[in-house]
Order: sequence, then structure tokens, then C-alpha cells
Amino acid sequence: MLRLAYLYRNLTRNPMRALLTCAAVALPIAIYVLSMSVVDGVNRFLDNSARQLRLAVTHRSSIINPLPAGYRAKIESLDPTRTRLLSVCGIDWIGGKIEGDPRPLSTLGADHDTFVQTFPEYRLTPEEIAEWNRDRRAIIVGAAAARQFGWKVGDRITILPSLPPYQPMEFRVISTAPRAEDPLTLWFHRQYLVEARKQAGWEEERVGFYFIKCASQADLDHFRVAIDELFANTPDETKTQDEKAFMNEFITQQFNLPRNLTILAAVTVFVAVMAAANTMSMNFRDRLNELATLKAMGFRGTLISAIIQAESLFLCAVGGLLGAAGPYVAFNHTPLRDFTVPLIQQLDVRAATCGKAMLMAVGISVLAALWPAWLAARMNVVAALRSLE
Amino acid sequence: MAENPAARTVRASESSIMGLPLVYHWRSLFARRSTTLLTVLVVAAVTAVLAWMLSFAAALRSSLAVAADGRKIIVLKRGATAESNSAIRAEDMNLLTQVEGLDIDPETGRALISPEMLVQVQLPRLADGGRTAANVAVRGVTGTAFSVHRNVQLDGRCFAAGSREVIVGRTAARQFAGLRVGDTINLGYGSDRGYTVVGTFSAGGGPMESEIWGYLPSLMNAYNRTLYSSAALRIAPDADSRAVIERIEGPAVQLNASTEADYWREQAMLVRVYLAVAGVLVGLMAVAAVLSVANTMYASVAGRTREIAMLRTIGFGPGRILAGFVLEAAILALIGGVLGCAACAAWLRLVGNTKDMFGATTFTSMAFQIVLDPRTAAEALACVVLVGAAGAVFPARRAARLPAISGLREV
Repeated sequence: MLRLAYLYRNLTRNPMRALLTCAAVALPIAIYVLSMSVVDGVNRFLDNSARQLRLAVTHRSSIINPLPAGYRAKIESLDPTRTRLLSVCGIDWIGGKIEGDPRPLSTLGADHDTFVQTFPEYRLTPEEIAEWNRDRRAIIVGAAAARQFGWKVGDRITILPSLPPYQPMEFRVISTAPRAEDPLTLWFHRQYLVEARKQAGWEEERVGFYFIKCASQADLDHFRVAIDELFANTPDETKTQDEKAFMNEFITQQFNLPRNLTILAAVTVFVAVMAAANTMSMNFRDRLNELATLKAMGFRGTLISAIIQAESLFLCAVGGLLGAAGPYVAFNHTPLRDFTVPLIQQLDVRAATCGKAMLMAVGISVLAALWPAWLAARMNVVAALRSLE
Repeated sequence: MAENPAARTVRASESSIMGLPLVYHWRSLFARRSTTLLTVLVVAAVTAVLAWMLSFAAALRSSLAVAADGRKIIVLKRGATAESNSAIRAEDMNLLTQVEGLDIDPETGRALISPEMLVQVQLPRLADGGRTAANVAVRGVTGTAFSVHRNVQLDGRCFAAGSREVIVGRTAARQFAGLRVGDTINLGYGSDRGYTVVGTFSAGGGPMESEIWGYLPSLMNAYNRTLYSSAALRIAPDADSRAVIERIEGPAVQLNASTEADYWREQAMLVRVYLAVAGVLVGLMAVAAVLSVANTMYASVAGRTREIAMLRTIGFGPGRILAGFVLEAAILALIGGVLGCAACAAWLRLVGNTKDMFGATTFTSMAFQIVLDPRTAAEALACVVLVGAAGAVFPARRAARLPAISGLREV
């Protein structure tokens, strides 16, 4: 009890210093939470891609070269019973914009008959599936995109594609995909795009790329090779990779945001350690006499070290709590929650990331007090008592 | 540098004439070595990140500024957002020749319209030993391109019209594998046609230096294309670019036209968003540094009560004391800043300073080099001195207000 009282007195005897230290730890922790939220979000997105056991088949030369429409039937013929290769879904990217709005969309046309089976993580309700199959202008919009543009189920929206036919296309929102991992992508019937292209005079039907859902990891590994072998030595050779590798290629092209943010987070933790260590070393210096007196009275060095560690822990924990709670509240309970990182995902500050940041704050406190605690434990009482300023 | 307005007003009412000597502050910093060192490290870390970010922004800015040729217009299919997803038919290309206000080629007497096709090829990055690959733009052009894109300078030979030859931009040659003169790269829809690199070119540091150029008909054939991607036009010296753009976008032609500056600004949009976000984060870090400096200076003032009182007694006014402490913090921050800039420069040297980034919708990489130039370093240092001074203001005010006589009595 006495020790706690002493700890409390120590913390409050220089309130300005305690306050500044808490803040100097809280800010870096907040930066850590924000940057790691983006990194964790990207990893979650990639993990989902890996879990889904999907392959992406693109043209070997470049993703912008489309593949023949007949490839779907040929790939399906690799497993006619559909037990190992569950479904093949042809996909076309049309990007797109809303007239008069500069924000780019990520709009994809998919084979409507296999979309639901290929992308089960969208967890559409039976009613939504019925709507999707019934209406050829049906569109599923990601939850974050829906919030940004104010779309609701039933709304009619017009999108101007960035690719042929380059003419406005009308859609009806049938779902805002609240349970999907990917909050930004918009999905519609590829057949509708084919028809629109035909009407505008773009004849040849080709498909941007194919997504293939496999039954197991072994099947995935098998078909990754088998599909490329099937189309070897044809004019349109393919490059088949699992969805995680396919997605990762896009993300590293985005000026490698995860890596740069991890570096930023590391620097920021370093800043917090130095700031907290500064306070602890100043405290030690100011209380040298006092600590020496304690030791002279018979308190052991380990206890004095523990008092220093405890004070550091308390300061950093309060700072860490503030720094983690700030972004958590701001990005979950204020209008900021709709903030999105372009082309990657919504900024989703999760409790797990905040928890990691709290652990980091504890680590910071240990590091910050390491040197003063060690000095205190080894302090020469006589010399310290003499060093009166 | 640390002449704070408050300091000046206080000084006006003072009779003292002498400032505290610089060497006094310098020595004071070394009186509490560990504290000074830790604060310097905090400031250094923040400066290193800040300098890196400013260099990145400067590299992007200069690359885009070079591209901003006001007399050049890029024409896309209406609705397309980039050259790589635009497709223009030959009929549309012919309509462009009737647009008024275009510059005329003195030799052929025809309007300066460069039909172009943009595709891409995946090439390994040299920076990480080829572990990752980037999408490099391949542009099919005719001889007109060199009259329209005036800043393109050949270094060596140009591709010959009939043969499978290409020239590469100098940044692309530096950043991606297999692009040295004499190398052969596989292009074409099935990546089955070997093209020989016969020369390099510069484009004044602009984004085109990240591209590979070849003869348009040959590349269109290799990629099975009958449609062009885009057209680049040069406006006559006496014509108004706004009017020409309106004519192209009008009912007669119905294509999308923008000046080169606008086009590249839009492509760099994503990266600018990232930079803005990074700016906010670095700003927060700078605030943490301010607090850390304040913490140090408060301790310094508290530990030097008698010393400050002594200075007051021998005739240094409160203004001098205040200015002195702000100056001391600024020196401290400056040391950290110099260290941070050095760390940033070392990082760029060791880890690599070539970056490439995706255009917002092009899906091709634009490569550029980040250099910590003296101007950027000076900007970073100026910010850091401000951080130091801001952190010192309140502690310095406390020092300036110390009562001289009772201060002397303090232990």
C-alpha cells in the first residue's frame, strides 16, 4: 500500500512532465494504430483471398490482354463432374465513374450463373440471389462504396464505363454486400456488358480474366498447372496464379503501401521509446538523492528498480490507452468511419490492432525504464548521496 | 532565428544590451548528456521520415511538372480514363485532322497529330533483384511523335520503321531488367516477338522516360490491334488550347481531350492521396517531437533555476533569457534534424531511391528517382527548427519569469 502511495506521489509531483510524456507516447501509438490498421486490413483481405481457394487466369503477356470467351468451356471440361473444379467465372473490369463525380469506381462484370458459387464470401441471401438471377441489370455494390455514394437497395444508378462501350450503363442495386470482405467492388452481369458492346458496334467477345473456385488446396495446386498446360502453344497462353498472388501484385504496385506504413510504424515506436526514456532518465536524475536515501535505509535495489519500472509502465499505459482509443473511437463511431484508402480498402480500426498497440506501449515502457532501473539497482549509495547539486 | 515577437516586446522595455553567448547554450546542452541525446534522437527520427516524404513529393512534382507541356493535348475515347483503356477508331483519328488550331508540320504540310497505341509488358524490377515485376508501358508511335513530344531527346539511334526495334526511356532502362542497348525483349500479344533495344531517350525527366517506344504499325501488328489508343496533338502557337479542346469534345469529333498537365495530374491522384495521409501522420509525429522537446526544456529550466536567477542578477533581461532558451531548443532540434537528414540520405543510398507507382487508372508504372536535394533538406530543417522553438516557448517563458532574488535562494 505504501509503495502504491509512493508511486502515486511520484507520478503527480511533476504533473506537467507526466502529461507531456503521456501525450508523447499517445501520439506515436495513435500513428501506429492507424498505419497498422491499413496493413492489417490488407493482410485480412489477402488472407481471405487465400482461404477462398480461387485461381485467377489471365493472359500470359499482360492483364490488359483479354482471353477468348470459349476458354470457360475449355477449363470446365478439365473436370466435367465439377467435383474438384467447382465453378468458372469470367470477369471483365470496366472501372467506371458516375457522371460528374471524379471518384473512380471498381466495377466488374461477372458471369451471373457462376458468380454466387465462385464468391460465396458475399453471403447473399436467397432473396438477393433470386433478384441477381432475375434482373440482368442487377448490381451488387460494396458496403463502403454504397455509403460513399449514398446508394440503397433498389436504387437505379448509371455508370460510365472506362472501357468499351464507353456509354452510360444503367443498373439496379440489389445488394450492398454488408458481409463481404471487399467493401469497394461493384459486380454486375457480364452478359449485359457483352450486349451493350454489341449494340455500340464492338464485335468480338473476349473476357478479361477468369476466376476459378476449387474444392481443396490439392485441387488448387493441380489446376494451377493444368490450366496453363491446356492453353500452352496457343495464340492466347494463360498465366494462372492463386488469388492471393494475383491481388498482391496490385497491392505492391500501389507504391507498396503496406511496407512503407510498416516502416513508418517502426520509426514511430522508436520515437515513443526515446520520448519515454527521456522522461525516465530525467526522473532518475532528479531523484538520485532520494533513491540513494531509500537504499541507505535498507530498501533493496530490485525494489527501487521495480518502482521505476512501474512508473514507466503507468505513464506508457495511459498514453497507449489514449493513443489506441482515439483512432478506435474516431474510425468506428464518427463520420470518419467511411474513410477509405483508395483502391485498397476501408480504413477499419479493429480492437485487435488496438490491443497490439497496447502491448507495444507496455514494451515501450519496459525499454524506456531499462537504463534508469539498471542504474538504480547498481547505484553506489555513498557516491549518490554525495552528488548533491 | 528564434526572435519571438514576445521576446522583442519584452526586450524593448529592458535596458540590457547583451545577448547570451551561443557557446553558453552549446555547453548547456552537454551538461545533461543523456537527456539531450534522447531528445536529439526523437527529433532525428521525425526529420528522417519528413525528409523522405518531402523528397518523394518533390520527385513526383518535378516529374509531373516536366510533363506539363501547355501546347500538347492528349486525346482519348470519351469515357476512357487513361491511354491504356482508350480505343480510337481510324475514322475518329481522321476527324481530328479537321480540327482547327493545330500546329502544321513544315515538311509534310500536315497537322501535327501523333496516333499512338499504348500496351504494357511485365518486366522484373532491378531494385529487388527481379523478385517483383512492374507493368511497363509500351508505346507505338510514328515519326510525328517526335515533333509532338518536343522534350523527347534521342540518345543513340531511333528504331527503324520496318524492323523489330524499340527505344527505351532512360528511367525505364535504369529501373527494369533487360532494357540495355542490344538486349532483346519479347513483346506482342503472345509475348512471342523479339524486339531489339537499339537506343535510349530522355524526356526531360517526365513520365515518358519510364516507357518503351516502337514503330506503331509493327507493334499494332504484334498486338493484333486495329484500334489506336490515343492521339497526341500539338497546338499552333497562335491558337487557344481551351478552344481546341472544346472543338475536339464538341459534336463534330466527340472525343475526350485534355492538356498533358491535367492528364498526368489525374493519373497521380492516388499517390497524392497517399502523400496527404502520410503528411497527417508525420504531422502527428512532429507534435510528439514538440512535446518531447518541451519536456526536456522544462526539466532543463527547473534544473537551472539558480543559474537563471544568477543570469538575471548580472543583468540579462527576461527577453534575453526567453530568446536564449528558445535558441537552445532550436540548436538541439537542428542537431537532430541534421542527423535525421543524414539518416534519410543514407537510407536512400542503401535501400534504393528508385520508385515506381501506378497511374490511377493506367495500370502501368511510372518510375522516378527520389533524391534528397539541398532544397528539400533545407525545408525539412526549417520545419524541425520550428518544432524545437515551438517546444521551447512555454518552458522559456517560465525561465524568463523566474524571480531573480528568490531563485538564487533555491537549492
